[in-house]
Amino acid sequence: MRLKQAEIATDHVAFEAFYRRHVDAVTRFLARRVDDPHTVADLVAEVFMAVLDSAHTYRPELGSELAWLYGVARKTLSTERRRAFKESRLQNRVNGRRVLDTDDVARLEERIDAERAARRLLKAMSDLPESGRAVLELVVIDQLTVAEAAMALGIRTGTAKVRLHRARRMLKELPFVMEGTPG
Amino acid sequence: MSFEEQILMELKAEITDRAERRRRTVRRLYTGAGVAGLAAAAALAVPVLTGSEQPAYAVTQNTDGTISVTLNEFRDADKLEQDLKKMGVTTDITYLGPGKVCQGNRGEVIGGGSPEEWKNSASDKAASLQLSGLKIDPRQVGKGQTLVMAFSENRGPAQSDKPEVKWQFSAYVVKGQVKPCVMVDNPLSDDVDGPGQPPAGN
Repeated sequence: MRLKQAEIATDHVAFEAFYRRHVDAVTRFLARRVDDPHTVADLVAEVFMAVLDSAHTYRPELGSELAWLYGVARKTLSTERRRAFKESRLQNRVNGRRVLDTDDVARLEERIDAERAARRLLKAMSDLPESGRAVLELVVIDQLTVAEAAMALGIRTGTAKVRLHRARRMLKELPFVMEGTPG
Repeated sequence: MSFEEQILMELKAEITDRAERRRRTVRRLYTGAGVAGLAAAAALAVPVLTGSEQPAYAVTQNTDGTISVTLNEFRDADKLEQDLKKMGVTTDITYLGPGKVCQGNRGEVIGGGSPEEWKNSASDKAASLQLSGLKIDPRQVGKGQTLVMAFSENRGPAQSDKPEVKWQFSAYVVKGQVKPCVMVDNPLSDDVDGPGQPPAGN
């Protein structure tokens, strides 16, 4: 199993299988956090580039591929936010933007639209302390289990549970979230 | 092609590139140069040694306006291009695998008409081989022009500390658009000096 994971960074067939298994989930994960089609597409590319960089860090005994991948996606997103998309490491960009045809843009816009509620919820959570918010995001918004969220964040499950509990308690004090999912 | 397929394609190319880079990083180049002149391509042999971790290259601005590039390893071509760009010269650098060359000329080569035309042309003067690596003269590369350079290792056993690996180098200045490198087998690859020979003039 460990061997298979190392393969995704070196073997075309293994990587393609991994990519096809998860590209939709990653796209949706990003569409919940970014509302520009080009940026989402760029980020999808960047996340899978990061997978090539860090495939060796995956430990199957610690949880699902998807949880690990969301962890990678989170890191990619925060890195990209910091450097504000100056450059992508992959080609196929014009004027700093990925070249998308109109079908791509339409499909991405649909996804971004579908995730509008999640984006609002994320925004509502933005006042929470970072540690608790990260767990809450992955569990409530991205539908990971607590154990998976812990894996994605590289923390112990127990720690994740405590943080989640604290974050939920704080959220109860925020009326707009108590009313249910806005949007 | 959908963007997902396009990204997949790019990533597969990246996997191939990485495998290639890893393979190459095993060999470390120790530069020392002798030049065998061919019209656009100069071939030379350099000793190779496996040594401690060091940067792939070093770039120095000389007082006479030229730039010296010391090459330790054939990697980070993009970064080297960026560094040279900052120093005012547009380059296109390709590191090729053993026995490979870029097919034909990759654009409108300055001085590319005949050997006479080549002599003392910007292409001839823009990059020269030195003991320490390369010397680039940015003044030979005008606006809208690109110094196109390709390096390829030659085949042959790479032993840890013997002067063994030869590499070939070609450089010329292209006016306008530079076409991408189409990699082909180099018929002259193993035809220079014979494997393991010290470079001419060394």
